[in-house]
Amino acid sequence: MYHFNKIFALALIVFLTGCSIGGEKKIKIFSVEQPREKLNYEMPTPLQMEEIYWHIITSENAEEVFKKLEEAGIDPVLFGITDKDFQVLARNFAQIRQKLQETNNLLQEYKKYYEDTDNSK
Amino acid sequence: MIFAVLLITGIAGAGMYVMKLRSDNATLKANQLKLETAIEDQTKLLEQQKQDFQAIMESNKKLNVLINTFKKDLQDLDKRFTKKNRDIGKLAIERTKSIERIVNGGGKNAARCIELASGAEHTEEELKATLKSEINPECPTLANPNYVPFQ
Repeated sequence: MYHFNKIFALALIVFLTGCSIGGEKKIKIFSVEQPREKLNYEMPTPLQMEEIYWHIITSENAEEVFKKLEEAGIDPVLFGITDKDFQVLARNFAQIRQKLQETNNLLQEYKKYYEDTDNSK
Repeated sequence: MIFAVLLITGIAGAGMYVMKLRSDNATLKANQLKLETAIEDQTKLLEQQKQDFQAIMESNKKLNVLINTFKKDLQDLDKRFTKKNRDIGKLAIERTKSIERIVNGGGKNAARCIELASGAEHTEEELKATLKSEINPECPTLANPNYVPFQ
């Protein structure tokens, strides 16, 4: 009986602690740095401008200009601006072109800074 | 008997002290390694910051040069209309045909400038232009990068 109790006690200990033999498996948490995906947009397609023709009309040549238009099968109508407005138009166009150039340059500089070097993270 | 106990205790104490020293040594070595790695990382980071700063300075300089060029281009455009009290309206009345030709030439050049500003490739002719007669006077710095204006 004494031996039975001893074996029983031993078995009980084994049953109660059996699962903890070898210990709990430790969960390993690790982080891997994933670089941000590159925004690989193509550069905008360059513009292709269409040609326009400027007619200069004075009080002297007006009739001749309209006659020529009619002969060429073009409606004899012109949308005019004065010499001062022509200067303004030229200046406005120059400013639009400069803004376009500035924006394109900025875009290239950003691209160069964030994509050529390792600053994309 | 007491002597033996003291001896054993002494030896055990010394052993434990040596073990502690070893453990301290290992910790210090690990710390040293970590510090060296940290210093290396910091040096790399400083180097990268230096490079970034230089790149930003260079980019700023480029954009400032560009903006100054814009101002000069606009001034040149105004000059073309008003040089020596020039009145383009009066000139157009007096020499209608030649002004029409000049205006249309200018319009064509201005359109080309817009194409280039939007990212179009330069033609060989534009790149080769070094003389005033060969350039696009609407935007020489943009259209003809090899043209150096006479100061």
